[in-house]
Amino acid sequence: MNDRTENLLLALPGILLLALAFLFPIGQMLILSVSGPDGFTLAPFARFLSDPYYMGVLWRTVRLSLIITIICAVIGFPLAYIMTKVGPRLRLWLVIMIILPLMTSVVIRTFGWMVMLSRSGIIPQILRDFDLVGRNFALMQTETAIVIGMVQVLLPFMTLSILGVLTRVDGRLEEAARTMGCSFLQTVRTVVLPLSLPGLVAGSLLCFTLSASSFVTPNLLGGSRIQVLAASIYRSVTSAPDWPFASAQAVILFVGILLVLIPYMKLTGGKNG
Amino acid sequence: MNAKLGLSVVSLAALLGSTAIAQANSLTINSFGGAYETAHRECVISPFEKETGATVNVVTAYSADAFAQVRAQKDAPQFDVIHFSGGQEIVAAAEGLLSPIDDTKLTNAADLYDFAKAKLAAGEGPAYSIAAIGLVYNTEALAEKPTKWTDLLKPELSEGLVLTDISNGYGMLGFLMLNQVQGGDLTNIQPGLDAVKSLLDAGALVVATSPEIQQEFAQNGALIAPYASDYAFTLRNAGLPSGFQAGEEGTPASFITANLVAGRDNADLALKFIDMTISADAQACFANALRYTPTNSKTELAPEVAADVAYGEAAVAGLLRFDPTVIEANRSAWVEQWNRTIAQ
Repeated sequence: MNDRTENLLLALPGILLLALAFLFPIGQMLILSVSGPDGFTLAPFARFLSDPYYMGVLWRTVRLSLIITIICAVIGFPLAYIMTKVGPRLRLWLVIMIILPLMTSVVIRTFGWMVMLSRSGIIPQILRDFDLVGRNFALMQTETAIVIGMVQVLLPFMTLSILGVLTRVDGRLEEAARTMGCSFLQTVRTVVLPLSLPGLVAGSLLCFTLSASSFVTPNLLGGSRIQVLAASIYRSVTSAPDWPFASAQAVILFVGILLVLIPYMKLTGGKNG
Repeated sequence: MNAKLGLSVVSLAALLGSTAIAQANSLTINSFGGAYETAHRECVISPFEKETGATVNVVTAYSADAFAQVRAQKDAPQFDVIHFSGGQEIVAAAEGLLSPIDDTKLTNAADLYDFAKAKLAAGEGPAYSIAAIGLVYNTEALAEKPTKWTDLLKPELSEGLVLTDISNGYGMLGFLMLNQVQGGDLTNIQPGLDAVKSLLDAGALVVATSPEIQQEFAQNGALIAPYASDYAFTLRNAGLPSGFQAGEEGTPASFITANLVAGRDNADLALKFIDMTISADAQACFANALRYTPTNSKTELAPEVAADVAYGEAAVAGLLRFDPTVIEANRSAWVEQWNRTIAQ
């Protein structure tokens, strides 16, 4: 047995699992999305791309994913930066605070938001008490609710991605910048931010792909009136039932996410992938 | 090394053997979650396990999801008995996913009303309960009791009105009735869609599942929802002041059926389960627990329970049933139109 076969044998279970659980179903989905009653057809795709309603669903999915990613970055970066600056004990507590929500199911956390955002929930109540909104104001079943919920769900991914890179940045670089006469903000802009870019990009990609394909949170917080692509696929499978069209939508989502990933791979040249 | 290998092979074989035996004496079914599943266990599942010594694995899945699963598993079915509440059995039987039932094998079949066992030979399982769709309302907050379907359109109720998505079987029936009182029918659902649109603009909500209705009544001041009679009882049990009123224009009925999935190898045990489901005892138990209308003519109900359901041959005959085949044929187009109507 030479090294190569040994390596191959070791990799075999993983490859088999991938093939069975991932490649095979994806292949089936691709086939289903182009199979009509009389052979090959692109009708489901044409139907999606020519319909303002579905293009609206696609656009909403992309738009919300971008907003969620940006908010996660804006909150996550300072958080990660602070975590590299504090002492080890406090850092441990901060890490625990960030990881703790990941221990509860997304569904449970989403239900928590449903309680807080509903018509009689605490957040609309407070806004009403200050007379900022009308009597029937509710955040539930709005895009805002989806954004709030998704940011809370995805923030750990962003923060931890940036933290992983920032902890490896040499603190003396910042000190050097400060002695050269940079203000704090200049140091962050010219030294810390460029060096943490790989983490920021990785975190953003994680957030974007996860929110573009997320189903539970948008469905529960947005309700059936605010459709995102994953929920639309689900409806096409279960309530319409129109599987070829559902597959076509899934392929569009898949390709869309792939399009976002490719420039990233080109950008980083596989260095940090 | 070899001895170890041999041992593990033997133990693996033993393990596989034991699961195979377990399989032969177990059933996999779906139930609808929540209070329904609790009653389902009490009325059918537990007595069945006690009587036969078999184990029943329950998968929680609403009709549409359950149908999607059965369809996906066509080549290797995982369910023995599948329960539908939205007429899915008609399509499933037509697609050959369900097995025809020989009514001589069901000891209780003779006692069922005719409509509940009309299509056994075609593969559509017997209806073991009927849900009547009408107006579920908050008895304390509403000054005057709603009596008609058109009451849903009153402007003062709009902000407290909860509509259910038509991907839900009861939601579909409630919508079709609203459509009918607006002058539409099964060939034209536009009047209903227009009504829904204006209701939503006036502040009504759309929810997708029944627990969300309960949430709206419990926390968000919901006043009225077109839904099933059993649900008013569920809300009452949850401590909410709610009542059910059949609309004057008619009461759409939803049949809940127990179906035999084709291509499984313990059909006899599954048939025994279905037989128990349609027995007078099980149906009385369902009516007591959830206020479902029984389909077994021998079912005995206490007066206070009978008051909440359609009881007896004459009462049952008064229910109206939208043709499930027409609903199925149009489902995907309607869902599409509905989604567009409610989209913001």
